[in-house]
Amino acid sequence: MRMQPRQQLLEVWRATARSSAKNGKWIWGGRDGANSISDAEQLLCLMTPATGVESFKLDQPNATEEHVAAALRNLGDPMEIPQRLVRVLTEYMERYTDTDGTPVFSGDTYFRTADPEDEPTSAQTALDVVDSFAMSVTLALATIGFLRVFRSELRREDIRREVDKLETLASKRLTAAMIGLLRSFTVYVFDADSREGRALVRTANQSGLPPRQVVERLRRALRQVSATLREVTIGSGAAQVPDLDNPNRLFECGWSWGIAKDAPLVDVLGDVGVQRDGVAQPAPYLYFTVVALDGIAALFSERTRILGLLNEEQQRLARALQIRWDLTQQYWSTIASFDPVRWPLEDIPWRTNDELENDYFSLLVTAVTVQDLVSRQASDVELERVGRVLEELANRGRITRRPLGTDSAIAMHSPGVRFDLLGSDDPGGPQLAWVVSDFSPLLLKRTIQVAGLARDTELRGRLLAQADVIWDHLERRRLKSGPGHALWDQPSGIFAQVDSHGDQPSWYYTERVVECLVTAANLVSRAPLRSEMLTELAGELLNEADHLFDRELLGGAGEAGPALRNSLQTARASLRRARDVLSDRPGTAFVLASDVLRELEQLAAARQDVFEVE
Amino acid sequence: MLVFATSDKGGTGRSVTSSNVAYRRSLQGSDVCYLDFDFGSPTAGTIFNVDSASRGTTEGGLHSYLQGRISEPQMLDVWTQSDRPSLRHRPPGAGRLVLLPGDSGGGEFAVNHEVVQRCIRLMRRLDEEFDLCLLDLSAGRSYATEMVLAATAEPEMRAVTARWLVFHRWTRQHIIAASGLVYGERGIIEAGRVWGHNQQELMDSIRFVRTAVVDPNSVELAGLRPSQVAWLRDCNRDLQELASQRKVGRTTMLGVIPLDPVLQWREQLISDNDVYARQIANRETVDAFDSLAKRLTEDAAWETL
Repeated sequence: MRMQPRQQLLEVWRATARSSAKNGKWIWGGRDGANSISDAEQLLCLMTPATGVESFKLDQPNATEEHVAAALRNLGDPMEIPQRLVRVLTEYMERYTDTDGTPVFSGDTYFRTADPEDEPTSAQTALDVVDSFAMSVTLALATIGFLRVFRSELRREDIRREVDKLETLASKRLTAAMIGLLRSFTVYVFDADSREGRALVRTANQSGLPPRQVVERLRRALRQVSATLREVTIGSGAAQVPDLDNPNRLFECGWSWGIAKDAPLVDVLGDVGVQRDGVAQPAPYLYFTVVALDGIAALFSERTRILGLLNEEQQRLARALQIRWDLTQQYWSTIASFDPVRWPLEDIPWRTNDELENDYFSLLVTAVTVQDLVSRQASDVELERVGRVLEELANRGRITRRPLGTDSAIAMHSPGVRFDLLGSDDPGGPQLAWVVSDFSPLLLKRTIQVAGLARDTELRGRLLAQADVIWDHLERRRLKSGPGHALWDQPSGIFAQVDSHGDQPSWYYTERVVECLVTAANLVSRAPLRSEMLTELAGELLNEADHLFDRELLGGAGEAGPALRNSLQTARASLRRARDVLSDRPGTAFVLASDVLRELEQLAAARQDVFEVE
Repeated sequence: MLVFATSDKGGTGRSVTSSNVAYRRSLQGSDVCYLDFDFGSPTAGTIFNVDSASRGTTEGGLHSYLQGRISEPQMLDVWTQSDRPSLRHRPPGAGRLVLLPGDSGGGEFAVNHEVVQRCIRLMRRLDEEFDLCLLDLSAGRSYATEMVLAATAEPEMRAVTARWLVFHRWTRQHIIAASGLVYGERGIIEAGRVWGHNQQELMDSIRFVRTAVVDPNSVELAGLRPSQVAWLRDCNRDLQELASQRKVGRTTMLGVIPLDPVLQWREQLISDNDVYARQIANRETVDAFDSLAKRLTEDAAWETL
């Protein structure tokens, strides 16, 4: 891999520290202004590596690596860095808590309107967004895990009090975010003959079957999903379930953009503030579904379990979320691979049921499918097909191919894909919209994930080569100067057709790149793939080398002068080493065995001459 | 302020480092005195190039004073008594630099109540007269350590700030030894508790100094084979882990002194002349002494987590 995650992460840390910490104060905001999502993203640029990559740990000052600490010198020495983080995280938690103690998950400056003049009302900017719930889950888990370790290093009462206070705040925010996710999950049921129904059938029907038959097959394929949906009892989405029994109905499940309209309250122990009424149209959005799935996955990760980051109430909520996670995952991957001959996913661009089509939606569906592949250890055949889709998307997204002068794909990168947030005009004011431009980092992350799953060396090699190309693309989109120097995002760096985006960092984009780097770092730290053929070959070579070596000893070479003896000792050590690494690193064993063979061959060749007297 | 310099094993560079720190501190403008409490081998004069005290003084040193044979120990002003040209004449702006040597031919002696009282009297007097008093104790658990622990536990010493520096080299054996000297059985903290010290306060006043450290990533190692550097880096990481387990890690460390060729061959003060004009010593070494000298009295450096 050419992207070298460690060096890149260190560079991002240096840049983040430089642009965020000035004169002892923390600078919030960046290009899109401060809001509950952007600020969490900014903090995650530091917290994701610090809690996700072993060598980037900051919670044990005694163990912090010299170079890692040096990258954050702007925040202080290794002992001050964690204290500084505690204070900034506390500041974040307090900024986004209402006067009545309710955690705030508003989209604020991330909301867009059709007409820039037509500004959203204050009631609108305060609307909670699923993006914020998901980011908060990730940030709160990272924070709590960080504090658990850091706390054990502490003796001073005043710092302990700060840590305890932050942990309480983070835990409360986590519970509130989980409730938010439970109340924004939706099941959208529609007639097979409706506009949505026809769109779904068209997406699923890749071999030209009669629609009636497709509906029936769809219902059969989704039988397990719809049966499990009945277990959804708390939060939103439960009300629609009885409609599923009708054989003419189809459905969609996933996350809407915010708390669903008429979402019931979730019973919860302890104080989590007010559960606000929702306005969001109760139908899933692909983007928010992917975001929610990513956030929820952190709730039942190995780290969360081992460190015991959830309290009992949160574990109950996490179980409820896990059911929805499984269902949604299963639903979308069933649809995506509905027709075994030609997957609907392979029919790019993906068309949503409200008849929008875009390569970005294909990428989102791929994202869900990849998560499903991760959780069920998919076969290389499936991975190969998903890999091809990713390659195609990189091409169509003009990442591996140059764009035309007026290429419509560029709009996907800048300004980004825009979708209306239905129901957002409910409290009065204009209809709000959401703009996302994370095509490249999302594609990179999924490419690396699929590469990590592949057992076939050829497939992995191909995907990693693609990851390198996407990385080059991202590298050129870095800001070249100003406060955001070395951070993201400057699409004009690669697309001449796009205006410059100024020199402020976009934490939205930077955080997503950091996620890619962390995924890559964890892939690199795993043992390399082992080719069976290579193992066999190395084994055979070793056998021959072993035998020749033994014969050499039998001939008495072990008692010879120092030159020969040394050479045989090196050979013996190499052979032993080769046996040790044979199963993990067959390539290395191969080279060691070849060295020994060459050495022994020199001896044999030299001896041959003895008999050629004439 | 009193600073006790100690180490578990010999050859850690305790004396040469603390002498250099005293020297740097006085160059920074403080009045500093250096007491040779290494009673078994009183040779501090050598480091300062004070010839009359190179193996202890004959005119009544610390041995004679503490054992009650004289009423005042000899005090030698390094700026006038040193034989090294670059040390003679106090540089403008520098403070006093005074050496209190041991007796020539003196050895270890047992500690009793009277000795402790004399020790207290001396330390209180010097603390008033000087900004910094550096007491170089001998290696390991010694009578001198017992004596200063007993002395500083007395109520009349409460008002005097006392801090400890434990020197150790950056190797497995030295890390384990240094940790044992402080936290182990009959270690400083345990002994201090017996004399009536508050364990927590005593612990907070102890910091470690790593000496003769080789940075595995430094350019000076360019001559090593790649496999040697790879091995060194792993060793270093391993040592860091060990140090952290033994509570000798970064949070309890005050300074790191790099390995310097000059100090390897000769225990001496490194003057600016040695670094800039003659270029025989490394600047990093002097920087490390300078920063250690400053951090001795910086309260922020002594804060714990």
